[in-house]
Amino acid sequence: MSTWQFHTPDGVNDILPESCAAKRKLENNLRDLFCGRGYQEVETPGIEFYDVYAAGGGLVPQEGLFKFFDEQGRILSLRYDGTIPVARLAATVCREAEPPLRYAYVGNMYRYDEFGGGRQREFTQAGIELLGSQSPEADAEVIAIAIAAAQVCGIKDLQISLGQVEFFRGFLVEWGISGEEAELLPLLIDAKEMVALEELSDRLQLPSRGREILLRMASGYGTFDLLDEMTSLVSHPDSLAALQNLRDILTILDDYGYLHYVSIDLGMLGGLDYYTGVIFKGFTYGLGFPLFSGGRYDGLVGLFGRDLSATGFSIGVNFILTALSRQNLLYSPVEGIVYLGYDPGLRASAFSRADQLRQEGMRVICDHRNQTPAMLRRQIKAEPEARAVWLDADGRLTWLEKEV
Amino acid sequence: MNFLTIALAKGRLADQAIELLELAGYNCAAAKTETRRLILEDQANGLRFIMAKPADVPTYVEYGAADVGVVGKDTLLEEGRSLYEVLNLGFGGCRICVCGRPELMGRLDSIPNKRVATKYPRIAREYFEIKKRESVEIIKLNGSVELAPLIGLAEVIVDIVESGRTLRENGLVVLETIAEISARMVVNRVSMKMKSQRINPLIQAVRQQLENKGTRTKEVIE
Repeated sequence: MSTWQFHTPDGVNDILPESCAAKRKLENNLRDLFCGRGYQEVETPGIEFYDVYAAGGGLVPQEGLFKFFDEQGRILSLRYDGTIPVARLAATVCREAEPPLRYAYVGNMYRYDEFGGGRQREFTQAGIELLGSQSPEADAEVIAIAIAAAQVCGIKDLQISLGQVEFFRGFLVEWGISGEEAELLPLLIDAKEMVALEELSDRLQLPSRGREILLRMASGYGTFDLLDEMTSLVSHPDSLAALQNLRDILTILDDYGYLHYVSIDLGMLGGLDYYTGVIFKGFTYGLGFPLFSGGRYDGLVGLFGRDLSATGFSIGVNFILTALSRQNLLYSPVEGIVYLGYDPGLRASAFSRADQLRQEGMRVICDHRNQTPAMLRRQIKAEPEARAVWLDADGRLTWLEKEV
Repeated sequence: MNFLTIALAKGRLADQAIELLELAGYNCAAAKTETRRLILEDQANGLRFIMAKPADVPTYVEYGAADVGVVGKDTLLEEGRSLYEVLNLGFGGCRICVCGRPELMGRLDSIPNKRVATKYPRIAREYFEIKKRESVEIIKLNGSVELAPLIGLAEVIVDIVESGRTLRENGLVVLETIAEISARMVVNRVSMKMKSQRINPLIQAVRQQLENKGTRTKEVIE
């Protein structure tokens, strides 16, 4: 007997009827939302050439990719994320499409490195990309759709943090920090490692204004007030432009009516390196990870040969399910099954009557065991949601009572 | 949902953490009861303590099973989890070092492909492979690591050094220091945002205590 025939591999699992129905419902809600906002769904292949993810010196850690070979010895990889394939697609097969382009996707992603505590190696992500617009309106549109996405899935408690990677890049230039320290610093800020930050500041001999900026990056929260405070502390034009960009985006989000969900966190510097402007993450209760994340990545499409600015986000459908169930909000009313019973001679008629009932929205199974009405009444007693209907020789349908 | 869950590393670190939390004005009676229970709840104050194996504390906190954790920096380095590391609590101080026979002093870099015995394979690998750009063979052991160089299993070890007594008694010396270690307070990245009204005062109160004690400690979240 083979040892593994009864198992699924680590990090993947079967999705059983109840959760599958809830998951499909969420996916459809998200599809409808994206579609209604003018985003066209695309489906990129489940398998990509490894080179797609290795573009630009490696867009994702190679340890994270599921890899195998084709018959010509080329390295293939399972789809790791939605954004990079869409960037490839926008720059290649859709290169003639006139920007701005609005694409959406819902699909399974595969990550070798993420496993445990609610994270699976196979998971479903939904997301959008808005390509060809550099305006803060475009960023705010994407953030607003991310908030709406959480809402249409039933998430009520939501907090969004906004950051801006250019702010930090300006800081590095302003204070002449480069090399090893420039690589270490964002990690320390991102992890709020205040002790190590202080030590590094000593080593860099940062004056008090520089230290104050670092401190506020790692620990400051707020909206316009924090932006004003930071504006008074920095002088590099890139940092100032980043703050103005956040101010513009906040102003637009206020018009969407979403300002109360949002706060500024300039210390968000971890994660994918391809972001070039605003970045954001959405949080809710019951989930140790961000529910969604996204941002601006103006250099990515260029790696595939088309100069196109871009902004987008993705949301983890499995994460939404986890959060909903932990917040006791998961409710998936599935209409009960209707069993249609009939005498053996009436099968043709039963099939067409069943179709009529399905037209009315019922889920109908023709009872091919040819049970009597009494047996059907007994069967639906055992299945609380189920109902049964009897087709008699005159073509009449009679609803059966559950056996008491 | 309104519970604040604190994961403590069972043992001396937990005792010191509880002492500090009490000084900071948090009632830890629940956590101090003599019991074998692993989850200790204080309904009145909305606190829940999880007693975990030290190496598991970062895992609980990363996955959000606990909002806050108290654990040694050595464990944090070894586990490499994505957390906020908000306070240096000062206690549990020691160093993580490369140790070996005294004749290796100053000659460490001249041994190619050395064998490194350690309880901390990740820290050892990061130090030699990433920082020193040197290929090594890591031998994972679970205790009494000092044995390895004595019986020729490895050239050097990577281990925690507190007083240095075990090293001395076994004829070993510290060759290089990798990092200074002490207990840290860590916070889940989502809890920091979603439960900031409870976590920020906790951090503030503990930091205040540390400053009162004059322990060299630094900052955090307003």
